[in-house]
Amino acid sequence: MKNNIFENSKRVFLDCVDAKDYVQLDRVSTIYQSLKDSVKKPLKMVLLYGKPGTGKSMFLNKLYHDLSTSQKVIIYQTPILDENEFFKSLAQDLFDVKYQGELNFTQFMNILKKHIRDGEEVPLVLLDEAQLYPSVQMEKIRLLSDTRSVKFVITLHKTQKEDLIAKEHFKTRIWETIELENALNNELKIYIQKKLMKANCFDTANMFNQRSVNYIYKITKGNYRDTNKLLYTLFEIYSWYLQNSPSSIKTNEMSKKIIEMSAIHTGLIDA
Amino acid sequence: MLNVHDLERRHKVYKLKVLLPYIVIFVSLVVILIVILFVNNSDMFKSNEVKHNQEIIQKHIEQTKHIVLEEVVEKNETLQAIPNKQELKEVKVDETIVLVPSLNFIANIKHSSTSSDVNYERVINKKDQTKEITKTEAKQKIALKPAKKEPEPVIIEEIELQRDNPLKIHRQNTDDDINHVIKRFSKNNNPALSLFIAKKYYEMQDYHQSYNYALITNRINDNIDSSWIIFAKSLVKLNRKQEAVETLKRYIEHSKSSQAKTLLEEIERGKFK
Repeated sequence: MKNNIFENSKRVFLDCVDAKDYVQLDRVSTIYQSLKDSVKKPLKMVLLYGKPGTGKSMFLNKLYHDLSTSQKVIIYQTPILDENEFFKSLAQDLFDVKYQGELNFTQFMNILKKHIRDGEEVPLVLLDEAQLYPSVQMEKIRLLSDTRSVKFVITLHKTQKEDLIAKEHFKTRIWETIELENALNNELKIYIQKKLMKANCFDTANMFNQRSVNYIYKITKGNYRDTNKLLYTLFEIYSWYLQNSPSSIKTNEMSKKIIEMSAIHTGLIDA
Repeated sequence: MLNVHDLERRHKVYKLKVLLPYIVIFVSLVVILIVILFVNNSDMFKSNEVKHNQEIIQKHIEQTKHIVLEEVVEKNETLQAIPNKQELKEVKVDETIVLVPSLNFIANIKHSSTSSDVNYERVINKKDQTKEITKTEAKQKIALKPAKKEPEPVIIEEIELQRDNPLKIHRQNTDDDINHVIKRFSKNNNPALSLFIAKKYYEMQDYHQSYNYALITNRINDNIDSSWIIFAKSLVKLNRKQEAVETLKRYIEHSKSSQAKTLLEEIERGKFK
């Protein structure tokens, strides 16, 4: 049923970070491969940065998904802002140490010295949304990475403030920085169609011609998160029309009107 | 839950918002075009109005020119008394009458040229006229009346007959008269008018123009004696005596005109130069 197609297509664009939903694009794959290579290098820290919605969290999740089977890797998708809780979580996740009471930086370093042995692979800690950590805590993360006992991959939003953080805390320590950018026009079409085809939504994938993708690109500027939001609403509207007024929609191509309605609903267009 | 109806309404507002600048630009352009067209039309209307007004003014001028001034000068009056004795009569001619130059009047002048006491070639302007008046002792009033066939008198004339200096013709606004007649001629191509113009120019010693208008008259009607006479005279004045003689000879063969014969003799004998 058409209704199911639109409903399925809608679910494809749910805004969630799942490594299974990762779409391989040529440029993104190259960047991801360079990230994987960087992780293997004996460096203290890798900084992954970019504007919101450029796929940093997805990258980190994909990395975690790919490396978790081969090495010790933990991911904190939401920042643990309390310093005590942060070190306690690290102690438990890295060394299965359940510490009773408060655990400060010095105490955590003692635990680290006890559990790290020479020649062992350094555990990898992936910190998402690192710009939310307090600067004092970030300073301690930096010191921790200096010991080379724990390797960090952190993601930052690329804003003026976050650039400052990067400069102050990681300037001398970060071995590699990787910037993620919005999709290009042709990449966006591949992204949409690959995502839909992964979920066997071939009919809806074929509805996206270059003209409609161009218009979506104009609205979202290639931002993956905005595109997901827009297309989720788009298929929701299509689904509604199919149920309530099927004659008012065409299923062979994307309606510009419905794209605009979706953009209005998601706030991408100021109506 | 999506409220699609509300979204549709918001979408309409959005489209209006997007199209508004284009609509405003389009409407502005249309308004500008309309204003430009209106302004142009009003200018044209004004110019037409001005033309119309000018026509009305010209009509009025025509009407006022239908004034025949008669100057009565009594004989044996002292020089100081002369101005007091002058009587001017204004006669307004009916508006419906079409102005046509009195060809007979010209003919009269022509005939009078043969008499010994009239020197019609002396056309004196106003200043000269006043000088002449101071010198003359007696003047005789001659009021030229319109020709019988052409009842509309046009010419405002003051003719003074002098015993010592036979005849003096005073014309007012000669240039205006000619220009006016030229306009009328350009409208109706009446050979009488072109002949009148030719004669006027001849009187004003503008022989090129008199030649031209006589030629035009001949082309319209080649049986008018006066026109051929003026044509030949103008040629003589333009130092084209031989052409004048040949023209007159051909015309005499064709028309047997006595006037033309007389003029031919005068030219050949050298009396007319």
